Amino acid sequence: MTLIAVPGWLESILPMIFVGFAGFLILAIGMKVDSGKAFSSITFVALALSLVSVVWQSYDPVAGSLVTFNPFNAYFAAILIISSLFVTFPALRNLTERRDIFYSLLLFVTLGMLVASFTMNLVVMFVAFEAVSIGTYVMAGFHKTRRALEASAKYFFTGAVSTGFIVIGLSYYFQATGTFDLTAVTIVSRIPLLTALAFLIIGFGFKLAIFPMHQWAIDTYDGSENSVSALLSTGSKILAFMIMLKLFVVGFPLLGQSVFIFFTILAILTMTYGNISALSETRLKRLLAYSSVAQAGYMILVFSAVAYAQYNGMSAGYIQFIVAAGMLYSLIYIFMKGGAFLALNSIGKENPGLEDISGMGTRSPALALSFTVLLLALAGIPLTGGFTAKAWLFLSLINVKLWWLAVIAILNSAISVFYYFRVISYMYRKEPLSGVIISTEKSVIVPVALAAAIVVALGIYFYVIYFILPFVGFLVGG
Amino acid sequence: MFLAFIFGLLFAISLVTFLTGRYSSRFAMAGSVLILVLVAGYLLEVMQGYSGGITGKYSYPLNAEYQIFFSVGINGFTGPLLLAAAIVFPLSIYISLKEKYDGKFYGLMMLAETGLFGVLISRDMILFYIFWEFVLVPVFFLILMYGGEGRNSVALKFFVYTHIGSALILLAIFSLYAYYFSVYGIYTMQMSALTQPSFVSQIPLFWELFIVAGLMIGFLVKLPVFPFHAWLPDSYDVAPYPVTVAIAGGLSLMGGYGLFGIMLGLKSLFPALVLWILVGISIVSLIYFALTAMFQTSIKRMMAYASAGSMGFVLLAFAAGIMEESGVEYNLVLSGGMFQILAHAIIISLLFVNIFFIKLKAGTDTLGGLGGIYREAPVLSTIMLGGLLASLGLPGLAGFIGEFSILGGSFQAIGYLIFFVIFSMIITASYHIWMAQRTLYGPYNEHLGGIRDLSRPEMAVLGAVLILILVLGVFPSPLFSLFSSYAGGII
Repeated sequence: MTLIAVPGWLESILPMIFVGFAGFLILAIGMKVDSGKAFSSITFVALALSLVSVVWQSYDPVAGSLVTFNPFNAYFAAILIISSLFVTFPALRNLTERRDIFYSLLLFVTLGMLVASFTMNLVVMFVAFEAVSIGTYVMAGFHKTRRALEASAKYFFTGAVSTGFIVIGLSYYFQATGTFDLTAVTIVSRIPLLTALAFLIIGFGFKLAIFPMHQWAIDTYDGSENSVSALLSTGSKILAFMIMLKLFVVGFPLLGQSVFIFFTILAILTMTYGNISALSETRLKRLLAYSSVAQAGYMILVFSAVAYAQYNGMSAGYIQFIVAAGMLYSLIYIFMKGGAFLALNSIGKENPGLEDISGMGTRSPALALSFTVLLLALAGIPLTGGFTAKAWLFLSLINVKLWWLAVIAILNSAISVFYYFRVISYMYRKEPLSGVIISTEKSVIVPVALAAAIVVALGIYFYVIYFILPFVGFLVGG
Repeated sequence: MFLAFIFGLLFAISLVTFLTGRYSSRFAMAGSVLILVLVAGYLLEVMQGYSGGITGKYSYPLNAEYQIFFSVGINGFTGPLLLAAAIVFPLSIYISLKEKYDGKFYGLMMLAETGLFGVLISRDMILFYIFWEFVLVPVFFLILMYGGEGRNSVALKFFVYTHIGSALILLAIFSLYAYYFSVYGIYTMQMSALTQPSFVSQIPLFWELFIVAGLMIGFLVKLPVFPFHAWLPDSYDVAPYPVTVAIAGGLSLMGGYGLFGIMLGLKSLFPALVLWILVGISIVSLIYFALTAMFQTSIKRMMAYASAGSMGFVLLAFAAGIMEESGVEYNLVLSGGMFQILAHAIIISLLFVNIFFIKLKAGTDTLGGLGGIYREAPVLSTIMLGGLLASLGLPGLAGFIGEFSILGGSFQAIGYLIFFVIFSMIITASYHIWMAQRTLYGPYNEHLGGIRDLSRPEMAVLGAVLILILVLGVFPSPLFSLFSSYAGGII
């Protein structure tokens, strides 16, 4: 179905045009006026239009090697736009100066995400990825508090190192395959390919915050403003996940076993480390940061399972199922994690601890209920989207006979219940333990409640994965 | 169809209860009684001439292409359990009227009942699991928000403990699902498909053990039996009385349902060694809980252990029944186990309701603080005594039927190990009697001041439950034949 009568090539890049144009528009307006409301509204409209044009496209095959427009890519593009949409209005709350810059940055970051989504070429992907990174370095330190600047600096330095790793990995990859186009890979030489694998896992692993490369994430999510943390832990992370999905599912076809071993070790370490560290954490943002490390661990189980299925010669149907589980996880993850970070906006204190949300249950029941739903989802309790996501992921592991990995994952998930429920139990304490103000403004509650509602809807419609499954065919041929 | 309607109605009632504000208590009471009436009527209708298998099955296709159904149904076992659940919840809501609770409390209670109904009627494995896990959430909040001292940590312990058990159940369900696909090339979560003998017998040994271990650990945590029981005494103790009644009477059905409703269909998966281990666990927990109960100072905690103790019988019946494979003993011991689950739910609810009234009227529920309350409150004491006698298995009351059938049926399978079971029954009987003697009879503890006896309406409600126990005790055959035809249908 075509929305507007435009030529095919224009229709395909329409989402990016909306976002990019709005970014420059805000910069231009910002020279004359400084109105947060106007900027956020323009951003919101542009993102919404972009989302609409992503979803309602016909996706006729467009010739060209640099960009690929297909439903699989569009799915991730939509997710990434949603993650930006979610922080658009909440970000306004703590912005005091140069709001035009912040919102144009947000739009340019989204533009980078879109470009990275709609390509199967590694160089284009890398450039877009860097565009996103640079934008988010600035956003992390935008509020110029001491903590935010420290967070931004840490993020920047580790980000720079990871860029180096990615570049080296790309060079080796080219040496091994003779191409940057992931869909046209023919392996020439194995040793450089293995080297490329190691470098690329480390490089992109930094952004996904998997175990040995995660420490920046804890400090950065902790130090940045809440909506920036939300964007970093959803959009930026899912972007890295998507790139890895394309890279390791399509780009390393004959390396099944090495990929499997690498990722299995990383996944186990990441989940376990994230969950165990979160157990003793009493600062809320750090707790959520550790939980998002653990969630990254669940996500990279996808790669283990795909690689295992590949080198055991299982049919493409299995691999498609696993990838679909990963895609579903990404979708649900942005709502539960983004919403959880945004819920912290209500606490009138920087760096809140567990005791600061005590009494939220009585002071702001709607917010407490929504936050509770999101935490339940992160813990994977049925009738929330978190259960849907985890259940299909674990099921796909069992499906390829990786039962022991599923046991480890599910025990991890059971451990995680402990710290999420600790937060909930603080929330519903009868007597507040500290005098921190808990805001009941609509602007805080609405995004969180919306996220919670979507999470519940995705939990009730348990079989949503069968809706996603057809998209995978565009990544992994069946 | 009507079953799905009852379930939907219950869910709607529980959601509306949250919004009814100060009318919520009356609304929840009326709603739960309405559900009781509907369930009872429905069962009378469909259970006529029941002869094994599933009745009242209703499937709504969610996705025809992938064979996904929202399917519900009951059988000769889950039907009576549904009735027991429908009896327990109005009872617990009734006693909550004596204290001040808000709309959230009643909403959560009704939500717990919804989840429990969902567990019992689901005929789709994933639906079953979703409700199984979902029940924990309202109960967690009930303990967290309304519990006594130490509620934060106890609520957490309750949830984490049972959640770990549930997680293993999920893995086992997935293994069944994945293996069914690799055998037949069809994805299905239908319970009837996943537990059909021709499929179950094809599962290779490793996956067999994996599935059995996952499901059994999950169900044994919920039941609970000896090494998995740590959540139980604290939760029963810290939860407010209405919630204790709901957990002890309602949620305890779930573990038993897991064994007899699901595992029985997979009985060919059990190696002999595992069955002997189960027998061992059940005997250890029978004795362990009886001995532990003896040393409790609070009657609430003592009854919590008594409740766990009766679950040892359930597990024994289950293991012994599978060992028998078929024949008269098979039917007898399995039906006895199912009867025990049902009788336990009603008896333990009556006991906790009674203890609640003792606490309400006398102001304490410790053994030392009470004494001789028969003098002041004869009706309350008599009903309490009735409950205790039923709980220790006095002939003529409901508790006896189950225990006797289990003893009689399992002798052939487990031989002289039965002496340990009888030994535990003696201990159980002695601490029940001893407790009655210390609290209800003997010299009156003058520190208590005057105690008011039960009022007329209270008398009527409690008396009705006691009469139900008596009726089940002297006239068990309708239920017994239902259970027996259900067990016979499994072979």
